[in-house]
Amino acid sequence: MHESKPSDITSRRGFLKGVLGTTALSASGLAANAQARIKAPHELETLKDYEEHWGFCDMCYWRCGLKVRSRDGKAFKIDGNPEHPLNRGVVCAKGNSGIQVAFAPNRLKQPQERVGARGDNKWRPMPWDEALDKVAHELNKVKEKYGPQALVMIGHGTWEKPYHRLAHAYGTPNTTSPVFGLCCGPRGVANMLVAGRELGGNETLDLENCKYFLMMGRNVTESLHNGETLGWIDGVANGAKVTYVDPRFTITASKSDEWLAIRPLTDHAFLLAMIHVVIKEGLYDKAFVSEYVSGLDDLTARVEKYTPEWQAPITGIPAESVRRIAREMSERAPSVLVYSPRRLTRSANDLGTGMSIAILNSLFGVWDRSGGIYNPQNFKIPEISLPEFPHAHVARSEASGDFDFSQSPFASDAEGKIHRADGAGVPGRWPLANAQYGLTNEMWRAMAEQDPYPLKALLTAGGNGFSNSSDYDTIRKALLNMDFYVAADVMPNEMNSYADILLPEASYLERYDDLQTGGMLEGFVALREPAMQPLHDTKGSWDICKDLSKRMGLEAWFPHDSVADMLDDRLKKAGLSLAELKQKGIIKTAADPKLNFPREHGLKSIFPTPSGKIELIPSQLKTLGMENAIEWEEQPRPKDGEFHFTFGRIGFHTHARTQDNIWLSGFMPENLLWLHPEAATKLGIVNGDMVMVHDRKGRGGKIKVKVTNRIRPDTVFTVHGFGHWDKRMTTAAGKGLSDSLLASDTREKHIGSISMGTSMVTISKA
Amino acid sequence: MVAKYVMLADTTRCINCKACEVACRAEWDTPLGYSRDWVKEVESVNAKGMPELQIFPGRCQHCDDAPCVEVCPTGASWKREDGIVLVDHDICSGCELCVPACPYDARWLNPVTNTISKCTFCQPRIDKGLQPACVETCVGNALIFGDANDPNSEVSILLKTKEWQRLITDEVNIGPNHYYYTAGKTIPVEVMPKLHERHLAGKSIESIVNPLGTIGIGGMMAVFLGAGVKKLVDRRKEVSEKEDNHEHH
Repeated sequence: MHESKPSDITSRRGFLKGVLGTTALSASGLAANAQARIKAPHELETLKDYEEHWGFCDMCYWRCGLKVRSRDGKAFKIDGNPEHPLNRGVVCAKGNSGIQVAFAPNRLKQPQERVGARGDNKWRPMPWDEALDKVAHELNKVKEKYGPQALVMIGHGTWEKPYHRLAHAYGTPNTTSPVFGLCCGPRGVANMLVAGRELGGNETLDLENCKYFLMMGRNVTESLHNGETLGWIDGVANGAKVTYVDPRFTITASKSDEWLAIRPLTDHAFLLAMIHVVIKEGLYDKAFVSEYVSGLDDLTARVEKYTPEWQAPITGIPAESVRRIAREMSERAPSVLVYSPRRLTRSANDLGTGMSIAILNSLFGVWDRSGGIYNPQNFKIPEISLPEFPHAHVARSEASGDFDFSQSPFASDAEGKIHRADGAGVPGRWPLANAQYGLTNEMWRAMAEQDPYPLKALLTAGGNGFSNSSDYDTIRKALLNMDFYVAADVMPNEMNSYADILLPEASYLERYDDLQTGGMLEGFVALREPAMQPLHDTKGSWDICKDLSKRMGLEAWFPHDSVADMLDDRLKKAGLSLAELKQKGIIKTAADPKLNFPREHGLKSIFPTPSGKIELIPSQLKTLGMENAIEWEEQPRPKDGEFHFTFGRIGFHTHARTQDNIWLSGFMPENLLWLHPEAATKLGIVNGDMVMVHDRKGRGGKIKVKVTNRIRPDTVFTVHGFGHWDKRMTTAAGKGLSDSLLASDTREKHIGSISMGTSMVTISKA
Repeated sequence: MVAKYVMLADTTRCINCKACEVACRAEWDTPLGYSRDWVKEVESVNAKGMPELQIFPGRCQHCDDAPCVEVCPTGASWKREDGIVLVDHDICSGCELCVPACPYDARWLNPVTNTISKCTFCQPRIDKGLQPACVETCVGNALIFGDANDPNSEVSILLKTKEWQRLITDEVNIGPNHYYYTAGKTIPVEVMPKLHERHLAGKSIESIVNPLGTIGIGGMMAVFLGAGVKKLVDRRKEVSEKEDNHEHH
């Protein structure tokens, strides 16, 4: 790199002005040695030396494998680990910008204690010992007064795991992550109910070999996960046909053969008509259905009424398109995918939508087939030996470390211990909800309403309740109800501005973390090691939790001296070692076609439902009296002058957590409200106008309009994650409008997950 | 045979995710507000009234007849044998004459070094056998880089097997070495190169040095040259002083 002293710049700048103001010199003014220099060979820049360290990404929840380059003890460039199956060596803009998490000027740099009112952002720096003593004391005080269940732990990030462990050791069942109740929950439940399997956190789809993608609002190029996005692009390049179904023309739509601008909230009606056609016209995989599927007669009777003509006025999609798409898919089956959205939290019946997708994929016989859904490899790394947790049914998955619905899909309270406050997995409340990850939306409600029992302490590890589309008032009330709130995070945000104690986390480039284990076609275990020493007075989450555990009498659950020791201990149980993992940053089990695609090799598929078959009308729903979830229900529609409010992602931001990143913020300084030209003309609004947008509750604010025919005339859209107001986020604060303020926070009626898509808004010129 | 480096962009695989831009920024420590590469997105409406979106990743096109090399008064802007257009930062005076000379807007004055910055096809990386940073990180594998003189290289094979276009107009046809695949779609005018009215610091150079329009082209060139030479003298002095102080790098 070239360096220049400020004084050089000033003098040369000044000279430039001087030249322009004076007459030109003649060429004879050129010194002889300078002339010689022009002709001499040019100086070539050379690549400076660097070190490489292994890691996996923390910028989003896909977790790509990384090689982090450091020079002079500072990480400066993040590359992909080509061996890692989740990204095959590529890294997106978010991943590349991880450098500016470590070096972010606005980072939380030392422990702090709140000295003003909650949310006022008045802080006193304090030493770690004092902060940890205070946290241990306050948490133990709440336990003595209300019992261990009064602690809620909310985590969002790869480093949340030790906080879950600490909370479980403390004795509370109330640990939760947004991944289920605010995101993928209904999709996972639907697949588990129908097939006893799901798509994992990383989409076990054979994208490269798929011949037809029916994208149900899955904006795979902008809600971007490297390996999935690249696999889909490869599949399209290999000739797959793509039909993209979404009220909005996304970048994914622009790569598709056909865009169906479906009315918001009506995917279920379209899918039911697809099922109708597939059954009526005999387009399903008859051999697969007769061997592996039950409930066809019951389903046939139920979808009789859901004709393509029936759905046309509901969805706005012509009946003939439904018939044509069903036939086109049938011709290419089983190498076809009805591609589910990841976040399926839109309406009061997301379960019906999710089941319809699982049913269609099953009728096309895509399970365990090339170009369909494959059976993943797994890398089993046993957990370290720990004492029993005081609360019986909080067990994390040993296989994947997270997001494993099969672990406890219907957690019960056989031990007679206290139920989860959010009702996840609790009989009579939300039995379909995952008890490991819980219903974060319902947990906030329980904290706000102090129901079903007092919840008085909060421990958060990352996340931001205000911007994940729960109601602001609920979040604020919940936070103000706490006797004590401790937040551990790398960056400031609105939620942690309410904390009593802030514990600054080391960034993911400055620390070890627990192993990443997973299964795609290959199984793998991957390493995160520090690429540099912490820049500030921060600690990694394992070290924080171990230090807290000592002060809280819970050290038995944190037996290792260091994270590296813990990793080595875990790896040795699997016959490996940390030294071995450090060679390539990842150790894999090879892809095994017979295991991944058994039915391509004359082997049998396995569907671990209660009956051992794919259940088109799931027996578990019958037991719960919920088998009507498959039936269509009318959805809210905008009144005259109202619009459906929708939101979504852009490829260079992750949720609401990257808007303050200085390497990303320049790409989109603020979010815009997409409005169709017809609607704009009617309202007298032109491109670039500022408008007021309000929902039926009167919530809302100002935002700039983008007039575009890339959206339906009855729908508006904006990019998620803007509208921050925490002044510590100096780059992001005050930019754009928060979609979370406008999204709905009603419930999915079977699962209890949130429904964010039912909000209607009005627009007026500001 | 000497290499001839080219960049291929398969726009059907580009998703405007900006990974290339951030990777470049990290690799070369680009100051905020500047970038050596970019992605342009052009929205349009087709004959059926449906929206369309075309996405073009871009950077220096490393032209065969590079005007930035021609106009450079100090000889700092140069073209290597393998076709890569580079800036010799020891010689560059930061006079910015090359900035408006580039019809692709690929050059800018780096406020930290006070010399001209641009894409080098990651010359220091490729000289070590690595791929350019943007290519290595590209999420859609939309960017392909290599030696067009090697008949077995991926770029040579792709150049033969697909229909590639270049950013060329009647006005600007200077042999760019950056190729685009659009699956037959016409490249929109928004992406095409444009000749610039030569300007410096927001003012037209012509209006400063030739306010009455009477000097003529030859005289103007003398003025440009003079400006550059004077700066070169100054820059040479700096370099000499640095060398004397053993600070040369």
